[in-house]
Amino acid sequence: MVLTGRVSPAPEGLWNRRAKPMNFIDHARQAREVEVVGLLEAVCQSLEPTSSQTSLAKQRYEGVGTWLAKSDDPVLRSITVYLQGSTAIGTVVRPIGFNEFDVDLVAHVPDLDVQLSPAAQKKALGDRLRANGNYVSLLEEMARCWRLNYAGEFHMDITPSIPNPKCRFGGELVPDKALKRWNPSNPKGYRRMFEERAKLVPVIRIRKHIAADSLGANVEPYPQAIAFKGILRRIVQIAKRHRDTLFIDRMDVAPLSVIITTLASRSYEWCVRNREYDNELELVLDVIQHMPDSIDTCEVDGVLQWFIWNETTAGENFAEKWNQRPERAERFYTWHARFCANIAALPTIRGIDRLGEKLTDLFGQKPASEAIGKIVDRVSDARTTGNLRVAPKVGLTVTAAAAAAGSTPVRSNTFFGS
Amino acid sequence: MLFGGPKPLTAAQQFLNLRASPISSGHGALRAGRLTWRYVATPSPLSREYGMRIEFAQGGVPEACVDAPDLQSLAGDRTIPHLYCRKPFKLCLYLPRTYEWQPQMRLDQTVVPWSVLWLFYFEEWLLSDDWKGGGMHPGNDKIGRGEAA
Repeated sequence: MVLTGRVSPAPEGLWNRRAKPMNFIDHARQAREVEVVGLLEAVCQSLEPTSSQTSLAKQRYEGVGTWLAKSDDPVLRSITVYLQGSTAIGTVVRPIGFNEFDVDLVAHVPDLDVQLSPAAQKKALGDRLRANGNYVSLLEEMARCWRLNYAGEFHMDITPSIPNPKCRFGGELVPDKALKRWNPSNPKGYRRMFEERAKLVPVIRIRKHIAADSLGANVEPYPQAIAFKGILRRIVQIAKRHRDTLFIDRMDVAPLSVIITTLASRSYEWCVRNREYDNELELVLDVIQHMPDSIDTCEVDGVLQWFIWNETTAGENFAEKWNQRPERAERFYTWHARFCANIAALPTIRGIDRLGEKLTDLFGQKPASEAIGKIVDRVSDARTTGNLRVAPKVGLTVTAAAAAAGSTPVRSNTFFGS
Repeated sequence: MLFGGPKPLTAAQQFLNLRASPISSGHGALRAGRLTWRYVATPSPLSREYGMRIEFAQGGVPEACVDAPDLQSLAGDRTIPHLYCRKPFKLCLYLPRTYEWQPQMRLDQTVVPWSVLWLFYFEEWLLSDDWKGGGMHPGNDKIGRGEAA
């Protein structure tokens, strides 16, 4: 990948702890960072569609695909409908204040002999959707796509596309906002690339430490480690939600999801290929810190221009709007600095209450209280089953390993008094 | 105490056990059947550190206090649940006159872990205003969630 060559070597920064001697392990710090990972994981779970919402969306979009393909219109005869965007790559976050998720679909006409303008193809798509009594009341026309509004569930955006014969990666062409031109894009290629990166497995040394420690005498127990389900996807979700809360009143100028996703996935690849980490939080912090590294800039006629090229097709610059409105670039960098600082500060916060308040600020009330609720449930469940212990320096713990490591079981008790 | 049951532990035995336990490592004093033990406790890796004090006189009941930080300044103007008194902050950790605590039980295995549990639910209460640790109030025989006795 071109990426590695472009990324500048990382500075020895706040997050680079490789210089530390390997035999020194700050258990309390490690335990805090592992707990923060658990909290962020719980926040993400709260932001995601449920599995029933996901399967409902799948059922709906398959229905749309079947309906379109059954058309007599020669333009639509060979059409295929598939998912693109965050639903396709598993990085959806619930929008703030709404229940509806975005489900982005591509309606692709692979027939190269069909030479239609973007406007004509979009019209053909709209006509066919309108011909279905189920869709006509849900249908809303957007600049370059059609939207089906399933109230309380999701809105499904259907964008027309045709093959891009000039793209050597098998890309497609989608309408521009004015419906005048076809613009290069490659939703399938982008998804493949993201999934390849997400599959990369980082080296997390904490697992080695635990294995080595269990043989030694001086063992301090760990809290129950809750790992991320797919670190790259979680990083993207955390970043998008952080953006959503920061730009809650001005979403129209917020950094685009595709920019956040692209930069995070490149940075993740670089970090995983080049570094090792003590725990998953360290990796997260390193990935987010290095997100801007792959933004290209150059001066054109004395004016700074930004480029975040879509690596899966030629000619799609995700940062195109920054070059028309440089304040968008500024906003990205402002958001990014806040994001890095906010996430890095999480393990320094003392007090479940203060951490809960911080999570509410950053991600919203519901995800924060669900995340803290999981910690409470873990303790209360272990208390009920008699598996709760107190370990030195880390406090309450439910890990089996703690039993052998200087910890004390918590006997049953009843808090009394007013 | 049932006839022939285990003997109550002396203040000296309690003192030695507190000193030996890794979860109550600290310092204290033992004088004339009376002990004071100070140590630092944290209920979770995400929590504050609390300066704790245990007072126990042989033949009496143990008292568990939080000396620092000032719990009331954390709680603002709210009434902190499950306290015997607020000067000092003395924790209500078990049902009196039941068998949850008996004089033959080690403080480092009862009052110390219970205090940690109290601190855990206290921090969560600060956030949610809802005590999730269960328990009983005087004159109220309802036992809440978390009660396993």
